[in-house]
Amino acid sequence: MKLYRIVLKDIVRRKKRVLFAALGVAIGTMTVVGVLTIAFAGQARIYNQLEKYGPNLAVMPAISNVDTHLGDLSLGTLAVGENYIPEEKLPQIRQIADGEIKAALGITDEGDIATIAPKLYINTEVKGTSMMVVGVEPEEESKIKTWWKIQEGKYIERSDEVLVGAVAAKLLSLNIGDTVELKGSAVTVTGILEETGSNDDYQIFVPLETLQKAFGKEGLISSMDIRALCNACPVEVIANAINQNITGVRAIAVKQVAEAEMGVMERMNKFMLALGGITLAVGLFGVVNTMMSSVNERIKDIGIMRAVGASRNQIMRVFIYEAIIIGIVGGIFGYLAGTLLAYIVGPIIFEGTNINFVLKYLPLSLALAILVAVIATLYPALRATRIRVADSFRSL
Amino acid sequence: MLEIRNVSKIYGEGTAKVVALNNVSLQVNSGDFIAIMGPSGSGKSTLLNVIGGLDYPSSGEVILDGKRIDNLDENALVVVRRGKVAYVFQQYHLLPSLTALENVLLPLIFCGANGGGGKAMDILKRVGLEKRAGHKPSELSGGEQQRVAIARALVNEPSLILADEPTGNMDRKTGGEILGLFDQLNKEGHSIIMVTHDREIARHAKEIIVLQDGQIVGKINSEGGGDKC
Repeated sequence: MKLYRIVLKDIVRRKKRVLFAALGVAIGTMTVVGVLTIAFAGQARIYNQLEKYGPNLAVMPAISNVDTHLGDLSLGTLAVGENYIPEEKLPQIRQIADGEIKAALGITDEGDIATIAPKLYINTEVKGTSMMVVGVEPEEESKIKTWWKIQEGKYIERSDEVLVGAVAAKLLSLNIGDTVELKGSAVTVTGILEETGSNDDYQIFVPLETLQKAFGKEGLISSMDIRALCNACPVEVIANAINQNITGVRAIAVKQVAEAEMGVMERMNKFMLALGGITLAVGLFGVVNTMMSSVNERIKDIGIMRAVGASRNQIMRVFIYEAIIIGIVGGIFGYLAGTLLAYIVGPIIFEGTNINFVLKYLPLSLALAILVAVIATLYPALRATRIRVADSFRSL
Repeated sequence: MLEIRNVSKIYGEGTAKVVALNNVSLQVNSGDFIAIMGPSGSGKSTLLNVIGGLDYPSSGEVILDGKRIDNLDENALVVVRRGKVAYVFQQYHLLPSLTALENVLLPLIFCGANGGGGKAMDILKRVGLEKRAGHKPSELSGGEQQRVAIARALVNEPSLILADEPTGNMDRKTGGEILGLFDQLNKEGHSIIMVTHDREIARHAKEIIVLQDGQIVGKINSEGGGDKC
């Protein structure tokens, strides 16, 4: 039999006390694991979106709305008129985008490289409900929205066909073959999209020309998506070049948005981790307290061990072993509770984020919990080693 | 084997000063069985603690096997407790979470010895408790607990056994059995110093030392069952 077995047997006898100490450790590790798990999911989501939209740029009219302020108070945004981009700017934009990509990748070929998908957004009544109808170039749009899947019917080809988002189809109870009136012109539903979890679900997609004609917006578009050839393409450079050379439009690289979002999240994570650290420190004091009373209630046991030949080091080890076990129990609890916390709180913080347990945080949680428990035990254990045998029996 | 020279032990200071031992000298030879008698507060237990290095004397010398132990530090005293001296207490002082056998093994564990289960079991047999080896102290009677404590004292084969009122918590019959065990151990060559306030119990010893107010007031050679006290 070894020393640790004595400790184990004693812990079994005093399980409530040990569990209490373990909970003190668990609360701190729970916070840390929870924060890390949520952060991990949030980052995974941003990376995921970067991979999906990374090579994209969005081009919008330069002034589409005005921020209204009163002193430092923001009163929201005010849309000023109807802002459109004339279609004739499209070739210029293409020239810049292709030129930058070719320059960056050393391509000398002639021909188009970037995909440019212009869009016209019109808010109108469809079957008595206010809907967002989007005019698109079918072929270009499908190259940008690579994740689109047709749930029913087929993709739009002809000018009198429409594609309906999953939620919109349900809302308007539209089926394949139904006819829809768009300000006088009739179009037929040929396809319904699978749910994407984005705005697309609520929109109706019509060929651009059809929509332009129906609403008298010939030659005008609301925005355009540009998809560069590759993830490594210089999207920021393209965005800058467009902003500098073409008046009346504003280009934004998705990557920049994602990076900004990532920065905000990292700052938030740091803050939450600091909170976790404080919780850990508070838990540490709780464990010091519990271990202190554990020493006090075992003065007699310590005296017995000393009387039958235990050295001060061995008494120290008894308490350190106990701390390690408290740390293991607390670390496991902390990991489980932290993961649970992430599952509950994560979707509230990052809407639509799928939280997954992160197994690599289990050893981290264990290490953290053991460290805290051992640190918290050092002083009480040191006091235990100073107990004199004769004193320990006299106090009874 | 053990010599105590002019040992005093004083607790507290000033008006709260209590003289527990006052200039006590004593010689213990190998194979001795000494009983220390005296009323409560006469310094019996303090003397026993000082002899075994559980407590430091305020002055004087304690010499065990030719070496002073009164001025040893805690680490050196551990060595004394691991081999030369063992204790048996009135309250048995067993660890409640361990079985009888594990309690007997305890000194061997602290010595760093692996195994030893067989040896511990043999000693439990010697005190007649082999059938209760797997029981925890709470499941044992007082007499049985004291047998476990005696077995624990024996496992390191000490030259001197110090017993502080070992039968103090027992009825006469059980106490008699425990005393019989001490008699037997003494016959096997163990030196024993036993503190008691009961004259009947003290008569088991070869020599009786009477303490009063921290001083030795009488030494009686009880061999032959003399009743001169």
